Amino acid sequence: MNSILFLLATLIVYMGAKKLYRRFPRVYLSPLLTTPLVLVIVLLSMHVPYTHYNEGGQWLSRLLQPATIAFAVPLYKNLKTLRKHAVEIVASVLFGSIVAVSSSALLAHLMHLNHDLMGSIIPRSITTPIAMNVSQAIGGVPTITAIFVIITGLIGSIIGPYIVKWLRIDGEIARGILFGTAAHGTGTSKAFELSSLTGTISSISMILSALFTLAATPILALIMLP
Amino acid sequence: MKNIGKGILQVAVLMAFSELLNWFADWLHLPVPGSIIGIALLFILLQSGVIKVEWIDLGASWLLAELLLFFIPSAVGVMNYIPMLEQDGVRIIAIVICSTILVMVSSGLLAAIMSRRKERHAK
Repeated sequence: MNSILFLLATLIVYMGAKKLYRRFPRVYLSPLLTTPLVLVIVLLSMHVPYTHYNEGGQWLSRLLQPATIAFAVPLYKNLKTLRKHAVEIVASVLFGSIVAVSSSALLAHLMHLNHDLMGSIIPRSITTPIAMNVSQAIGGVPTITAIFVIITGLIGSIIGPYIVKWLRIDGEIARGILFGTAAHGTGTSKAFELSSLTGTISSISMILSALFTLAATPILALIMLP
Repeated sequence: MKNIGKGILQVAVLMAFSELLNWFADWLHLPVPGSIIGIALLFILLQSGVIKVEWIDLGASWLLAELLLFFIPSAVGVMNYIPMLEQDGVRIIAIVICSTILVMVSSGLLAAIMSRRKERHAK
């Protein structure tokens, strides 16, 4: 009973947040930011633990998997464009992925983050299930990695539009690569707001960066050795 | 009305497909989650014509349009880590912001430069 209530509450807050964002399209009013914020405030003030909330919330999280598989449809529809730009996509995503893990590791080291947190933050830029896998393999804590992944998604979809404007990146290919490589699925949903092609390129970039990072796990494990 | 039923059915089919692949990936102890295998498999099935895109188009576009919604329960999960964030939050956010900017600038600029060069060659 309660789980249905929390599910409905999430849907209602989300629809309200979307309406607000449609009327005032500011980055800080993004539904991904406002919806959890409202829900967290309500849950904390009513002393409802997260596990309780998630009995309803998990139904939405479960839809993330078929939604990920659904990326095959735009991939299929845009195959021609993808083939045409395969070289740029692979090269830029590979470069971006190397920057992502090495800068996260280096910054974590410079800021004296402890060993567990460092292992957890290294795979933060890729899609949650693979990030958790990599985290486990290199001595991080998978659930903390999931939190870092979501923080990355939030921050990426907020600053992405500014970076695009600042660097005057107007090509759909480059924009898609930027969002998908830096901010996984969350960035990809932002990219779909720009155009369908941008979103498609972003989704392929998200997949590629996850696979590149997964393939680099043995090297990352070496970095993590004290 | 007919479209709503069709969409729900297509989402259910995609969901069953992803559950099946998760089970399969678990069973083989693959390091890649079922959903990533699912993208590849569905893509191959579409490409080879085994599945027609019209069969799943509506459900797939629904799911992709509301993608943000599916991240919300995990984002609410941050509330469990408020003590950790109080202690290390500033450093963590600083790392994520700096690193994300670096990733966006490096991948975005490289892609923009490569596409521009390609266009020039084409002319």
